[in-house]
Amino acid sequence: MTSITFVQPDGSSKTVNAADGDNIMQTAVANNIAGILGECGGAMMCATCHCYVEDTRTGSASDGEEVMLECAEDEIRPTSRLSCQIKVTSELDGLVVHLPQPID
Amino acid sequence: MRNLPVDEAVTLADLSRDPYPIYKRMRAETPVVRMAQTKRILVTKADLTKWIKENPEIFSSDDPTTPMKPAFQAHTLMRKDGDEHRAERMAMQPAFSPKVIRTDWGDLYRKIAEDYVGRLPRGETVDLFTDLCGPVAARILAHMLGLEEATDAEMQDWSQRLIDGAGNFGYDPALFEASDAANAQMNALFDRLIPRHQSEPNNSAFSVMLNAKNPIPLSQMYANIKIAIGGGINEPRDALATIVYGLLTNPDQFEEVKRRDLWMDAFEEGVRWVAPIQVSGRRTTQEVQIGDYLIGPEERVMTIQASANRDEAIFGDDGEEFNVFRDKHPHQSFGSGPHHCAGAHVARRTLGEIMLPLLFDRFPNMTLERPQDVVWSGFGFRGPLNLPVTLN
Repeated sequence: MTSITFVQPDGSSKTVNAADGDNIMQTAVANNIAGILGECGGAMMCATCHCYVEDTRTGSASDGEEVMLECAEDEIRPTSRLSCQIKVTSELDGLVVHLPQPID
Repeated sequence: MRNLPVDEAVTLADLSRDPYPIYKRMRAETPVVRMAQTKRILVTKADLTKWIKENPEIFSSDDPTTPMKPAFQAHTLMRKDGDEHRAERMAMQPAFSPKVIRTDWGDLYRKIAEDYVGRLPRGETVDLFTDLCGPVAARILAHMLGLEEATDAEMQDWSQRLIDGAGNFGYDPALFEASDAANAQMNALFDRLIPRHQSEPNNSAFSVMLNAKNPIPLSQMYANIKIAIGGGINEPRDALATIVYGLLTNPDQFEEVKRRDLWMDAFEEGVRWVAPIQVSGRRTTQEVQIGDYLIGPEERVMTIQASANRDEAIFGDDGEEFNVFRDKHPHQSFGSGPHHCAGAHVARRTLGEIMLPLLFDRFPNMTLERPQDVVWSGFGFRGPLNLPVTLN
């Protein structure tokens, strides 16, 4: 099991155990993390699993992911990622994932 | 492994009239079943429909035997998988991004909605379906696609002909003649608009595709726009009519929604309750186990999201009811997997954030005196065919 911490825009956080082989979006949905919908199920087609990750262990966004990030609802930053594109491995233990501020 | 059950009794006409009791029974007794009349396999449980859509390598959208190709005179992105699908979809996607909705379509939609709602006569009984739901959906779509020149009537007519052609599983030549005529009119308009979009680019889908750094072939741009016309009018139209019906037939919920401005919740519940697109088709590429059954390759599988949206396993015992205040669970009305609805953001913003509050701000005491007069219809696409409301 790999421990992942989700931090909401208001600073509240929740740490969960993620199953290796899942992705971060699936982990968030399974644990009812607000702000991650993952409507397309990880096909990189909806941008409803947008998050911010400042951790080099996750690598960087692919070209397809960059294009889809343009379609995210909330503010795009250099640390923006689609959480469905980050695979959980034991090497990511302790990863911190920040959730975006919803835009009204 | 058990033998796949066959349903000899159920017909497309039954499913068009009132599918929900049939799906409820299927979920309980035969969640994976071959429908004898169409030979297709219907899947009605939420976990299975979602899984099917999220595994395009096993369940391909590419099906050469559907009438979509003759109807659209093209092999469209709806019937493609993988990189080819992605390239064609992403060519158009920027026009529907949240950013462009904010900068371009939000304000425009508000103006259009104010204009069309403003024309409705206070105190009278009107058919909201024909007088508002259809025309507003047509007008905003014309702008989003870069086809402002097309009238509301043309957009709605083309859309209906494409849908009728795409659903023409009986291969009736008259329906293809009708869709051919629509294709000719659309092609002529698109041809005429190219110079304008090249000299004055904007954020519309046609403009974005034409002016892309690496444009897709013109034939696929045309096919993409036709897909958006075929899918972009009836869905917001039917969703709006369904939500209004749900609210007006549940006055307690209606009052609470107005009081607390819960229009987005009303939107989500309306599209969950009666999914505008009820069914999707996939083709098996290999032998695969669905539920308790082993299904061979080259089978046609229909995922019934209309049923998944009322699955007791997710929504408990009251999934058949319209209830804005139910516990929130994801519905499948926008699909899942690579073909997840490209218009989901647009639909939520335009209907949930703009149209519903605006409509009920102007007519807060709207009533539907005779709900029994509302006719519901559709197997593939479903919604009310009329909505006689009194505006107050």
